Amino acid sequence: MSRADATQATGLGAWAHAIRRDRKALSGAIILAVFALVGIAGPWFAGDPSALVGVPLQPPSGAHWLGTNGQGQDVLAQLIAGTRVSLAVGFGVGLAVVLLGALVGVTAGYFGDRVDALLSVFSNVFLVLPGLPLAIVIAAYLPSGPFTVALVLTLTGWAWNARVLRAQTLALRRRDFVAAAVVAGESEWRLLLVEIVPNMLSVLVAQVIGSTVYAIGAQVGLEFLGLGDVARVTWGTMLYWAQNDAALLTGSWWTFVPPGLCVALVGFALTMLNSGFDEITNPRLQLERVWRAFLERRGVPAGRSTPVVREP
Amino acid sequence: MMRRAHPAALPSLAALPARARGALSALALVASSLAALAGCARDRAELPPGMLVVTQEQTGSWVRNFNPLTTAAAARWPTLAGVYEPLFVFNSVRSEQVPWLATGYEWHEGNRVLRVTTREGVRWSDGQPFSARDVAFTFQLMRRHPALDRRGVWGFLAGVRVIDPRTVEFVFQRVFIPGFDEVAAQLIVPEHVWRDVQDPVTFANEQPVATGPFTEVRAFRGQVYELGRNPHYWQPGKPAFEGLRFPAYPSNDRANLALVFDEVEWAGNFIPAIDRVFVGRDPAHHAYWFPLTAGVVYLYANTTRAPFGDVRVRKALSMALDRNLMVDVAAFRYTHPADATGMSESYAAWRDSAAAAAGDWVSHDPAGANQMLDRAGYPRWRDGVRRLPDGKPWRWEVLCVSGWSDWVRASQVIARDLREVGVDATVRTYDFGAWFQRVQEGDFDLSLGWCIEGPTPWHMYRWLMSSATIKPIGQASAGNWHRYSSSAADSVLAAFETATDPAEQRRLSSAMQRLFVAEAPAIPLYPNPTWAEFNTRRFTGFPSAENPYCDPSPNKMERGEILLVLTSLRPR
Amino acid sequence: MHYLLRRLGFYLLAAWAALTINFFLPRLMPGDPASTLFARFKGKLDPAAIEALRATFGLTDAPLWRQYLTSLGHVLQGDLGVSIAYFPSPVAEVIGTGLGWTLFLAGSAVIVSFAIGTLLGVVAAWWRRGWADSWLPSTLIFVGAFPYFWLAMAALYVLGFTLGWFPLGHAYSDDAVPGWTWAFTADVLRHAALPMTTIVLVTLGGWLLTMRNTMISLLGSDYVNLARAKGLPSAQVALRYAARNALLPSVTGFGMALGFVLGGSLLTEIVFSYPGQGYLLVQAVRAQDYPLMQGIFLVITLAVLGTNWLVDLIYLWLDPRTRDAGS
Repeated sequence: MSRADATQATGLGAWAHAIRRDRKALSGAIILAVFALVGIAGPWFAGDPSALVGVPLQPPSGAHWLGTNGQGQDVLAQLIAGTRVSLAVGFGVGLAVVLLGALVGVTAGYFGDRVDALLSVFSNVFLVLPGLPLAIVIAAYLPSGPFTVALVLTLTGWAWNARVLRAQTLALRRRDFVAAAVVAGESEWRLLLVEIVPNMLSVLVAQVIGSTVYAIGAQVGLEFLGLGDVARVTWGTMLYWAQNDAALLTGSWWTFVPPGLCVALVGFALTMLNSGFDEITNPRLQLERVWRAFLERRGVPAGRSTPVVREP
Repeated sequence: MMRRAHPAALPSLAALPARARGALSALALVASSLAALAGCARDRAELPPGMLVVTQEQTGSWVRNFNPLTTAAAARWPTLAGVYEPLFVFNSVRSEQVPWLATGYEWHEGNRVLRVTTREGVRWSDGQPFSARDVAFTFQLMRRHPALDRRGVWGFLAGVRVIDPRTVEFVFQRVFIPGFDEVAAQLIVPEHVWRDVQDPVTFANEQPVATGPFTEVRAFRGQVYELGRNPHYWQPGKPAFEGLRFPAYPSNDRANLALVFDEVEWAGNFIPAIDRVFVGRDPAHHAYWFPLTAGVVYLYANTTRAPFGDVRVRKALSMALDRNLMVDVAAFRYTHPADATGMSESYAAWRDSAAAAAGDWVSHDPAGANQMLDRAGYPRWRDGVRRLPDGKPWRWEVLCVSGWSDWVRASQVIARDLREVGVDATVRTYDFGAWFQRVQEGDFDLSLGWCIEGPTPWHMYRWLMSSATIKPIGQASAGNWHRYSSSAADSVLAAFETATDPAEQRRLSSAMQRLFVAEAPAIPLYPNPTWAEFNTRRFTGFPSAENPYCDPSPNKMERGEILLVLTSLRPR
Repeated sequence: MHYLLRRLGFYLLAAWAALTINFFLPRLMPGDPASTLFARFKGKLDPAAIEALRATFGLTDAPLWRQYLTSLGHVLQGDLGVSIAYFPSPVAEVIGTGLGWTLFLAGSAVIVSFAIGTLLGVVAAWWRRGWADSWLPSTLIFVGAFPYFWLAMAALYVLGFTLGWFPLGHAYSDDAVPGWTWAFTADVLRHAALPMTTIVLVTLGGWLLTMRNTMISLLGSDYVNLARAKGLPSAQVALRYAARNALLPSVTGFGMALGFVLGGSLLTEIVFSYPGQGYLLVQAVRAQDYPLMQGIFLVITLAVLGTNWLVDLIYLWLDPRTRDAGS
């Protein structure tokens, strides 16, 4: 396999391809784009989320499309303002977790031997420590705020990525083109940054997406427990306040359904994007698609047969 | 009420192809078993007869502890006011000491010796007689174990001795009249049981022997415990019902649900929109009363830091605050703005209305505040933020405790209002421990905070403006976190400590109030309500606005007030 | 055997790491439990009493490393110390009251979810492109994207509060007397139904996808095609040949998932006031109850590590290659 092929098969181009070709990926991308747009531009149009606009716990109406919360603030304005912070923390943590994971995983996989043994034990230990309880314990002690939440989630969430990326690096190291580069006398760092990392780009992106799903969920959980900065408007703190203002008791579903739904929609969109991408890049699923198309063109019903792919 | 999923709701199985039939019948099995499980749910609260169901503490599961003395552990409710009893019960609504295990007291030897007469005919729940010896023993025990001395009585006592089985004498280190209130509130334990206890600080006291109305532990499980009536209770015919029952609820929310569904009959919880949520469901039986007797919430300004040493600044900041909005947003309109004396309703008997009226700095007047600050020499720069004379901008954080939602909301309103008068104010929430360390050590500019409540205004004003309570910056100070003092305040407070004449006490209390109103040592925001909800379906006699015989809240155990309720309730 | 011993060594290392993190973290932060206790009294506690309390709780000024060694020694002897929030109950006793419930709830939820999810994954892969395959994964992913506690709140609101079909919380009725009786078991199941269902719903999608994707890869492999070519019954091919091997990644995930579900179930417990570790942990954190916090975290970690070790055993049985790698 040539270097160009390798890059194409696993690089960013595949994502564009996936989104164009796969219905799941496309729907995920659209939902995500809408949220991103709301997060970026929304706060300029929606009012001040902490302004006290009316009687607390009003049901949705023409004046307040999603009603007001227990403090008399507009739920829609809060939802929009919360989108920005929650997505920022989510993607920020997703990115940070993968970067940290890549740093440890790739170093371990590439340098092998003792470095590998040490780093592997380290990341495996973090992998088996229960993440959310650990995050709760850490978050309780740091000054509250989105940054703390991000830090805590990064510290407790990187290990899985490190493990996957280590395996990926090990596999890439054995490839011909890397061996060729070694023979050509390229320096180790150059080899790492130019040959190996770019070839993992698509995996990295998939991991960022996966980690973002985790980060958004965990962030909301921590904030729901009151471990975030409750004075800031995010989806998690909205749920915290909903609980605090006895949303169940007062029957004010509009204070807790929208933020939960948003979390679910974003998580759903990200997962769809990832699985759509998997569908496109996973060689077996990809071949099957071609095979089906081939059979259908010839009027043969596509049964359960799956073409065989040999391991490279 | 039961609702079952009716089998007919499922599509007829015969109409479906065989394979689907299998899947669906499995589904039906799951659904019907779920329905069967669910069918017997919500057994509309068949409460045990004669047992009053109470929720006061919130926990996932109960830990058995009925030690009334230790400060190391939280003893199960109502150990502090229902199992054990104090010498006198303080009625905070009527502002009076009610004789309880003691029948009276006298000051002797130039007010240095307090002689207390104990009640005759009181028996411990194991049948042994109660006497003055038990009182002296309890105080001696606290002297040996400072962790039991939660009110610090041995800070002013020199000794305690039994004169005869009905009389006990407390010798004071100096003349200290407010010390009586602390001695009066002390819970008494039986000598014949506690003299054999190895370590009274860690003692769990699983089978309490006590003088209170409810002493028998009838059941103790993780999710519920029950206390039965004391067979030897000294008030004839009381308590008028069998016992108390305590289900464990881990959160306010959960306890409130139980209250709404008639599973609980007496609670002390915050409930938002209570008229709709609780009373509206059963107006005949669901009732509440929230008297404003739980202390005032203050905004403290650290007077050791510029410009908060300047009384004009403190008053102007106070005028900037919209307390009505704060009451709406932070306290669901259950309270009203504080007046300039900073006193809660429990001091109603002491309030000097002339002094309160003179305090114009608690009404919302941003324009006036701005004028005052301009004149005081703190110019507002073009960026809208005022500067100190040395050019330092007024950029402050308002500290509060994360998770204390009323405080968080109040500080949000405060920060908003302060920006109107040229302060770049932001809310900063800290975990309780971190917040507490900061305020105690004086490491803050502005912070929300509570204020101590006691039987007399002396307790409160001592905390707010006595030099005796100040510690240097960096050292933890139990009170007076804003570190304000004045010699005038010190001398009035000192005079109160030796005053026994009620008229003299009243005069000194007015003097304290005038000083506070003139100097604004701290900025009062609003008095906190005490929370109390009740269900009168099976029991009557709860205190209410119509019958305010004492504070209605199960949370009010500090000075035994719950005993007044427990001995007044009657089954229907 | 060597393999299992090596894994055991690793788990011991992980347990030690958990202990260490847990010991140092809270102590490097401001505030201490005695002053938090003071908060419970809202300033009504005498300062002299606080000093006495510090001594009672053993909050000494000894150097941190010595406190660390002492605490490590105690834990090795099974002594988790005395809880501060529930003083004077020993931590072990406080945890003991809730541990069973948490393990019951999280454990059975994981097993149920694993079983159903994996089975559905097999179904989705076998009838690929069929009805189950096109709708089930997306629906379950969507449901799984909701935060645990949110789904719990919604279920509680609709099924418990509004419709009154299920109890509003707790592990059993207040009046039920615990024991191995039918009535009590039914009562416990009735109370566990809602919390368990929400956890299962949230985690189902993950198992389904893992199983489905691995199955699809395996269904195309030579040995499965061979089995088919030999004319073996479909069900036998699907279950005995493909599914058994496809289980490997799911089983690996199982140990990890337990930690994850345990974390999530803590939140669910709080919503349903289920008397497990979740509420205790949050309370310990709020009260700065170091010993209790340490104890809960340690116990949760040990539970996860223990499961992982069990998973290793199962893995060994499922994948003989591991046995060779070990020796």
